[in-house]
Amino acid sequence: MLDMFEVLRRSEDGPFMEEREFDFLVYRKTRELVREHGIVFDRENVIPVDESLVKGVFEAGFKLALETGIYVVESKRVVKLTEEELKYVVASAPSEIVVGEGRDSRVLYARKPEDRRRPLIMGGQAGAPIPEEFYFEMALSYMKEPLVDFVNHGGLARVGGVEGRTRSPAEALAAIYEVLHLRKAAVAAGRPGIHLLAGESSVSSIGDLAIQKPELLRKTDAHLVPILNDLKTDYDRLTKAFTFKIYGGFNVTLVDPVIGGFLGGPEGVAVGFVASFLLGRAIYGSDYHIIHPIHPKYVSTTPPECLWLLSVVSQAMAKYTNFILMGDVWTSNGAGSKDVFYEIVANTLVVAVSGSHPLGVSATNGKYPNASGLETKFMAEVAISSTRLNRGEANEIAKEFLKRYYPDKLEKPNVGKPFPELYDLKSIKPREWWLEVYLEALKEVEEYGLKIGSF
Amino acid sequence: MTQPLDICIELKNSVEQGEPERSKSLAEKALQVLDSISIIKECLIPAMNEVGEKFSRLEIFLPEVMMAAEAFESAIKVVEPKITGEQKKALTMGKVVIATIQGDIHDLGKNIVAMMLKAAGFEVYDLGRDVPPDVILKKAVEVDADIIAVSALMSTSLPYVKDLVRLLVERGLRSKFIVMVGGGAVTREWAREIGADGYGENFEEAVKAAIELINSRKNA
Repeated sequence: MLDMFEVLRRSEDGPFMEEREFDFLVYRKTRELVREHGIVFDRENVIPVDESLVKGVFEAGFKLALETGIYVVESKRVVKLTEEELKYVVASAPSEIVVGEGRDSRVLYARKPEDRRRPLIMGGQAGAPIPEEFYFEMALSYMKEPLVDFVNHGGLARVGGVEGRTRSPAEALAAIYEVLHLRKAAVAAGRPGIHLLAGESSVSSIGDLAIQKPELLRKTDAHLVPILNDLKTDYDRLTKAFTFKIYGGFNVTLVDPVIGGFLGGPEGVAVGFVASFLLGRAIYGSDYHIIHPIHPKYVSTTPPECLWLLSVVSQAMAKYTNFILMGDVWTSNGAGSKDVFYEIVANTLVVAVSGSHPLGVSATNGKYPNASGLETKFMAEVAISSTRLNRGEANEIAKEFLKRYYPDKLEKPNVGKPFPELYDLKSIKPREWWLEVYLEALKEVEEYGLKIGSF
Repeated sequence: MTQPLDICIELKNSVEQGEPERSKSLAEKALQVLDSISIIKECLIPAMNEVGEKFSRLEIFLPEVMMAAEAFESAIKVVEPKITGEQKKALTMGKVVIATIQGDIHDLGKNIVAMMLKAAGFEVYDLGRDVPPDVILKKAVEVDADIIAVSALMSTSLPYVKDLVRLLVERGLRSKFIVMVGGGAVTREWAREIGADGYGENFEEAVKAAIELINSRKNA
């Protein structure tokens, strides 16, 4: 990773380019590299086993990072890296980090494809605005699940009855209250040291700056620093990254390109992912990295294009680097529906056998608070049981479940029900009917040979 | 002599392939054998419709759509002076002012919707990202827009969308414009709640809603 002052210097002195010019440079280079490396998307096999494809994706991504660099929106300058610097970015990445505190801490490690070790589970309705009225109870539903190792929950929709608003004081207050709720839930669950990936209520750096305190977001916690689409950053992202690094916490790169944008189709997006992760670590000094492909029509990470991307990118990064990766499990259907479980099975299998830890379940494409700890427990069970599978076996099961929801249930998803209708808010236990839906889904998964609960 | 059908096909191809210079010179050639209205109706609009459909099937991507739109506009510039204002109005679906609202820097989804609206025959004024409500309103008034379309990916930018609607009401302009909203943070229910006229869950729905809303206004 580059020294932050060096990043600053290059963001002011790097080559000048109009944004459109940079967009088309990314487009042309990506297209060339996809062709040069013969990268082809295979809709029929969402978990590819072709090692030359995986190698091609990594090599093309490395070249893309080298050739384009990363664009800084405000200065219109490109931060370029040399080949040696990029190689150092790869070589210096830690293969494990200790996150969280005390007996709640975990060794978060870089998984490999078909890794037999237990994947670690990041739970929460990440990305969704959650009402203040039940934020604490909902967060507690994840903390109470023993299989959940870390929590990444959504932001607060309102604080003190006031809507969070970008760059307003409410944004800072929402970030503070979000973490206060999470801390309180962690204590209530008897897991005061659980690792949090938080600060979701704040888009700008205001909220991030407000929560860099030991009583809020600790040095053993993390926050997200996204790469803007495609291969861009801005002063707010850099401020977040630099200040949190100095504070001593963990930066996490979120890469969430839209298929069909300047990177092109799934093939180009795969290449763009690799480039983004390398550049993200170079300029943000990120410690772990989140893969989140966005489908232009369905949004969720569960259509075939996104599943293939989650797999091929996980495999490429896991095989050729020590980057610690998390794959988002982001469904169109919501908790309270049976369909959400089908999406979870396919998405989680893909993530876990390809070299990533699962993060989710973010249901309803992050629009509604229709989620709970129960379906995240299910995600954890699927992920852990998948350690007995090879990629080919997982691919076959994922395909079977894909058929159950794609495309109809993504076209018209069942968004399910909000948290208070899924859980008893006093006992923080799933309601009987919701538990039954879960048990039915569990039975269906076991019919495919996944031995849930025997780990 | 060049046949009208051949030149139309060539022009259509040049737009689909995103070649502005070629589209311009082919439009000039086409004018020798076809009238302006036919060029727009038979060659240019079908080309953009095809581009939109190809994007929907993910056979082409945003940059190709942008280049096609550029080629389309370079051809339009050649033929447009030959038609009357009334004819132009009849050929255009309507005018849209589009932006990612203040507080949000995510514009890829909005860019896709803007391009797809162009492909569907709308005249689109794209104001970019992080755009304050008053700037959007000013532009809409300036170009006499039919539709104001705003997107918000982050929930913290939603209050600014409400500000826009409130501003329109305060200025007595609410009924003048069709207001459409979309983006990751926006739900159908919320769109209804703030009094938006249309909502798009994705680019396909956004374009469909825009067409339906403008047609019902024209027929009212």
